[in-house]
Amino acid sequence: MGNKQTIFTDEQLDAYQDCTFFTRKEILRLHGRYHELAPHLVPMDYTNDPDCKLPLALIVNMPELKENPFRNRIVESFSEDGMGNLSFNEFVDMFSVLSETAPRELKAIYAFKIYDFNVDNYLCKEDLEKTLNKLTKEELTQEEVDLVCEKTIEEADLDGDNKLSFADFENMISRAPDFLSTFHIRI
Amino acid sequence: MDYGLRLLHVKIKGGIYLIIPSVTEEQNLVKELIDLSTRDRIRAIRELPMSFEEKKRIRWVMSSIKQCCRIILHQHILGCVCLCHSSARQTLELWQGVMKEIGGKFGSSVLSYFMFLKWLLMFNIFSFLVNFGFITIPLLVYDPLPNIPPNVSFRGLEILTGAGYFNYTVMYYGGYSNETLSGLVDYDMQLAYFFTIAVYMVLCGFALIFSMARSFQRNYILAEPASSCAWQLLCSWDFSITNEKAVRQRKSNLRESLSEKAQMKLLTLSEKLKHFAVHLGSWLLSTGLALGCGASIYYLCQYEQQVHSSMEGLTLLVPFVVSLINLVIPLFYSLFYKFEQYSSQRRQIYALVIRNVFLKMSILGVLCFYWMNVVAKKYSCWESMVGQSLYRLVIADFLFLMLGSFFGEFLSNVIGTRLIPRFGVPEFDIARNVLELIYAQTLAWIGIYFSPLLPAIQIVKFFILFYLKKVSLTQNCQPPRRTGRAAQMQTTFIALLFFPFFVGALSMVAYTAWRLAPSEQCGPFRGLNDTFSVVGVWIDDLEVIPGSQWVVWIYQNVIRSEIFYFLITVVTLVITYIFWQVIQGRKSLMNLLRQQIVNVSVFEEKRLLLMLFIERILFCTQHWVYSKYILL
Repeated sequence: MGNKQTIFTDEQLDAYQDCTFFTRKEILRLHGRYHELAPHLVPMDYTNDPDCKLPLALIVNMPELKENPFRNRIVESFSEDGMGNLSFNEFVDMFSVLSETAPRELKAIYAFKIYDFNVDNYLCKEDLEKTLNKLTKEELTQEEVDLVCEKTIEEADLDGDNKLSFADFENMISRAPDFLSTFHIRI
Repeated sequence: MDYGLRLLHVKIKGGIYLIIPSVTEEQNLVKELIDLSTRDRIRAIRELPMSFEEKKRIRWVMSSIKQCCRIILHQHILGCVCLCHSSARQTLELWQGVMKEIGGKFGSSVLSYFMFLKWLLMFNIFSFLVNFGFITIPLLVYDPLPNIPPNVSFRGLEILTGAGYFNYTVMYYGGYSNETLSGLVDYDMQLAYFFTIAVYMVLCGFALIFSMARSFQRNYILAEPASSCAWQLLCSWDFSITNEKAVRQRKSNLRESLSEKAQMKLLTLSEKLKHFAVHLGSWLLSTGLALGCGASIYYLCQYEQQVHSSMEGLTLLVPFVVSLINLVIPLFYSLFYKFEQYSSQRRQIYALVIRNVFLKMSILGVLCFYWMNVVAKKYSCWESMVGQSLYRLVIADFLFLMLGSFFGEFLSNVIGTRLIPRFGVPEFDIARNVLELIYAQTLAWIGIYFSPLLPAIQIVKFFILFYLKKVSLTQNCQPPRRTGRAAQMQTTFIALLFFPFFVGALSMVAYTAWRLAPSEQCGPFRGLNDTFSVVGVWIDDLEVIPGSQWVVWIYQNVIRSEIFYFLITVVTLVITYIFWQVIQGRKSLMNLLRQQIVNVSVFEEKRLLLMLFIERILFCTQHWVYSKYILL
């Protein structure tokens, strides 16, 4: 296009545009947001792919994530080292999956990752308990928590192994038409 | 958009989740992607569940393969054009930024009201363009100056009453001529008027049926029941809410709802009887109120006709009373929840919706009955009179909607925060507001036949209403406390819009066109027995023109013959029965497959256990043999 920006090369912007659900303008805006999280750490010139990662604590303070009960898990799921340190590519990836145009299958994969606290490829009872506690500020009694988790597994578990595999989770998501609009963060 | 991506298993690498395809999987992926067009390939790459680095690599592989062909340049340009087009479309789309803001602060169920408003606005814009283009512009071109009698001039009151100066313009049915306008082409006004309105109504009907069916399929048939714990725990949290108070509210509501579910109370017999009596009483009260309001509107209309003074302001009495009823009684219905107990919030909303629908239908029914039976027989240019009544109703409805915003939201906020803190900040009552929109749109649909330019007023009304409601929402209301099933409510609203409101409006217009004699002195159908005979006259004219015999044949043997409709009905019933049987078969297939999943997993477990067991035995045997050997 006509504007001369020096943050990314044209090939880089094309790659971002083709591999994520953002346009060029949105990528540049995202870079602005990433930069203002830590202006002294993040370089303005990304043409030679600098290796810069921002820690979890900075990213979860963004206004879009600050009030989200799952903010830590969201950032950890998209970081390569699992500790929540995001490079700019992972930052873009995160908001791309959470954007409006990402398809349901992709969102289901990452939603599963977010709810899987112990990263064992299954949503077992402990994962569901932690999810429930994050959603209700830990104000339910232990019996109520147990009952809710048992009912959840009973309703969603198809193959009878007492935990939810990705197939069970995806089956449930496919029957929730609101999921696409609720699993969505605007930036 | 599967492209066999199910083959990509989630691999765990050192305890961290990374989806890295193995070499063979990558080759399969590349093989699949290479056959697609550029746009489809880009879309497929975007939807891959991989990290950005991996996707960049795949993309680089694809582009280096495709580099040998020159087509890539051409397709890249096409791709750029498509992206330009989509980003241009984004900037042109109406109210995009405002919708994002509302959705972010109040959630998707409140946003559904505004999207419904925008959708209805599109209907009106289309209607206005069609009517203005095909009916009004030819008449204005032919005869630009309306023929107003000399003693009538424009006063300000016309904007409210619609009578007087407006009566003689192209605003109403009476202002249109029944001649064939000669000019560049011969333009038959009768046919134009008839076919424009008919085609518009049919297209509206198709659009409504189509969106209702699609919405129903997505949100009801394939959907998980709202009462399930699994849905509430895993799918109901709205990630887009960023407001701290809203998040806190939602958390506490989720907690309440889950703990209610956990302690399901069973009612005793006397409690059940009490609930039943309360329900019966409140339904009788609401039905009685609706019927009473209908009867009082009828008597008011008759009174107005009897008095019929020269005071033009008296014509505003009926519309104001109608709009006042529509404002006050739904607020009164909303208070019923204080003593009526429903098992779920959804049932409560549906009960409220049904009561409001019944109220509005009874009022509209009474008004239509009055217009068709009394006005049509009494006045000379009765269609224009009906058009004026509808105009007044639309204007009064608009004024009272603005008042309603004031009372429903601003005053409630003041009362809730300053005077009686127990009530708290009001919530945006989605059901009541959507029903008001549906009612307003029904008035426009009824009015199109009698006043072709009524959609223009409707467009202005909806435009102002959007901004008014947005301001009222952001200033006065808090985000909804419960996470409603927005998608299912949306389906219900579209279904309500179609039936009974659109069907009712269509039946009224059809009855008018079919049974009532058009007025003798004014309008495009003067001199005919009924409006439909326009088509008969046209067919008679076509018979003498050679080359159009097929139209005449179709009219006489298809549209006018009863056998055709009988055959269509029988065929439709047979097809419906066949589809129903297919659905039954699919249901039993689904149950079979579910059972198979359980069986397979049990079988897998047993197989694994057996293999472990065999492995163990072999190990022990080996160990024993080895120790024997060492001892030896």
